[in-house]
Amino acid sequence: MSSDASARKDPSGLAGQPGGLTAWGRLVAWGPYRALADFTTASPRRQFVILAAFPILWVLTQHLGPMLQMLRVSLTDAYPVAQGVEQSFTLDNYLRFFGDRIFWMPFFRTLAFAGVFTFCTLILTYPVAYFLARHVSRRNQMLMLLLLLVPFWVGEIVRTYAIMILLGNTGAVNLVLKWLGLIDRPIPFMYTSFSMGVGIVYLTALYMLLPLYSALEKLPKSYNEAAADLGAGAWTRFRRVTLPLTLEGISSGCTLVFLISTGFYATPVLLGGPSTTVFAETIAGFFHVAGDEWPTGAAFATIMFLAALLITGVFQRVMRGLRKGDTG
Amino acid sequence: MTKLTLNRRRFMGTAAMTGVALASPAYLRRANAAGDEVNIWTYNDFVPEAFKKQFEADTGIKVNVRLVDDQGKQFNLLAAEAPNPTVDIMTVAGHRFLQFIDSELLAPLDTDRLSNWGNINPTFSESDWATINGNKWGAPILSGMEVLSYNTDLVTAEEAQSWDTLFSEKYKGQTAYIIQDMMSIVMLMKGYDGNMVAYMDDPDKAAAIVEEAKQFLIEKKPLVRKYYDSGAEFQQMMVNQDIALGHSWNGPAAALINDGFPLAMTIPREGSYGFVYTFNIANNAPNADNAYAFLDAILASPEIGASMTKASGFISTYKGASEYLTDLERKSTSFSEEELANLQFFRAEANELKYGLVDPAVEAIKAA
Repeated sequence: MSSDASARKDPSGLAGQPGGLTAWGRLVAWGPYRALADFTTASPRRQFVILAAFPILWVLTQHLGPMLQMLRVSLTDAYPVAQGVEQSFTLDNYLRFFGDRIFWMPFFRTLAFAGVFTFCTLILTYPVAYFLARHVSRRNQMLMLLLLLVPFWVGEIVRTYAIMILLGNTGAVNLVLKWLGLIDRPIPFMYTSFSMGVGIVYLTALYMLLPLYSALEKLPKSYNEAAADLGAGAWTRFRRVTLPLTLEGISSGCTLVFLISTGFYATPVLLGGPSTTVFAETIAGFFHVAGDEWPTGAAFATIMFLAALLITGVFQRVMRGLRKGDTG
Repeated sequence: MTKLTLNRRRFMGTAAMTGVALASPAYLRRANAAGDEVNIWTYNDFVPEAFKKQFEADTGIKVNVRLVDDQGKQFNLLAAEAPNPTVDIMTVAGHRFLQFIDSELLAPLDTDRLSNWGNINPTFSESDWATINGNKWGAPILSGMEVLSYNTDLVTAEEAQSWDTLFSEKYKGQTAYIIQDMMSIVMLMKGYDGNMVAYMDDPDKAAAIVEEAKQFLIEKKPLVRKYYDSGAEFQQMMVNQDIALGHSWNGPAAALINDGFPLAMTIPREGSYGFVYTFNIANNAPNADNAYAFLDAILASPEIGASMTKASGFISTYKGASEYLTDLERKSTSFSEEELANLQFFRAEANELKYGLVDPAVEAIKAA
């Protein structure tokens, strides 16, 4: 590889004027850097491998790795392995779930809650997304999206505590109701499925809003105008045009919110009550509170993971069918 | 090409060095251990900040505190690191000793190396639970108990003399408790041994007792507002007036009393359980000498014990610590002789039997 060839490839054009080089220019002119650049860009295949290597490594180590480790732990009879204890593989941790009905209630309760809360989130956020995409000027859309993102600048726990401040016996809602003379004694909103639902809907709303906004924003206004010209009323236009063409956004949003809802732990613990125990709390119990049984906790987590995937898979298939039906 | 080859070699060399560094955490850990530091796992406020700074200034030993909030989590962390832990001192509750000792996670405590060992009240340092297999396993620092805490504006002191009030219709939806702990108390309420030591030879009877306690708590489930886990949750519910009374540990309750909240606590006549937090040295601790230096220093003065009580609300095990408390602090961390007569300590002998029955029962109550 000659230096002439390197000079021809020099995009900065500064190779011949070392006196006027910027830091970037000096780096580009630096021999080892150029050699490395030549090596990594020698062929499209190599470029692809190098570009893909880091994301793939990230996914493998940070996403798949822990899940596979959890799967492995779920198939063992002891973890962490104490000194003098021999670890062996077993399916007992999975059989424990299917053999003991007391675990079924929090499991199905979690799936039911996740389904209901996902539906509530959809109903509440669709009008917001619609308004944002169809009635707010482009210039203001970004500003409003930014405002909606503000709560996400703080963590889940802080936002959960905000809900507690709102719904507590001495919280803002009860104080206002009392001030208006509508109640004498505070309404016990907290530690019920209602407070838990409010928390989860609040925490997941943005995951629903963004796909919906994206789908609605892509929808040409001319479609609705054409439908109106043909005599369709507002409801018919929504039902026959807007809704079918935003099914993809609904599908993405619902999938995201459902999956997140099945895994919530802190919010149900802080906002839920005695009759709202979710499966994540049962799983957490195996990891610390009740008995330190990591393999059982890992097996239960795997079962919930697979169940959530199965449900979203079926949901996606149904939504795909609906979309095909509408376009067919 | 020469440049490229050199570059590759350099790259491979760097990569190899990085690989060695990453693959040798044990080596790095040991190298690090040679430094002047001591690593402690403990609860919030158990190591007073002023003491920590003073100790670091006096000895040059850096104190690294990692907060824990649960004995089980601490056990798992330590088990995962054994036999080469990164921690030197942990905070184990006396009734959890056996679990740690059986797994060879604790080193026996050499009390001869602690010149201030005698500053601990013998009630705690010489109790039956404190000596296992002829060895001491920890230095008692704070003691706690399961109490009935109540808002004095809403509940009378007379009502609070019995655990029954916690399950009365009058306070429906205004109570809270830690369900795991409540199982032991319900057994006590019904006249049984909540430690289950008495039933170690009769597992059928033990199972029947746990079943009875479980059914009782399921029956009373409509009355409870919240099953909670942490002291902070209890404080939050009290301050927000979401509950009027509840079972709690004395520490979080005392902290609220000291803040001026209209709260009182009692050990009801049916009895309750106490526990002692101890500082323990990990088996194969990387900085064992520094750990002993730290323990000896923290046991040196009753004033340190008092500052631990002020911050955590739990009762100091040091002789004379109460002399350094204000009247309010003393009141919030003391109980009458009559109340203390109803108190017994949690014991560990039957833990396997007990929790093998209680854990599924807790899940069943939550699921019901």
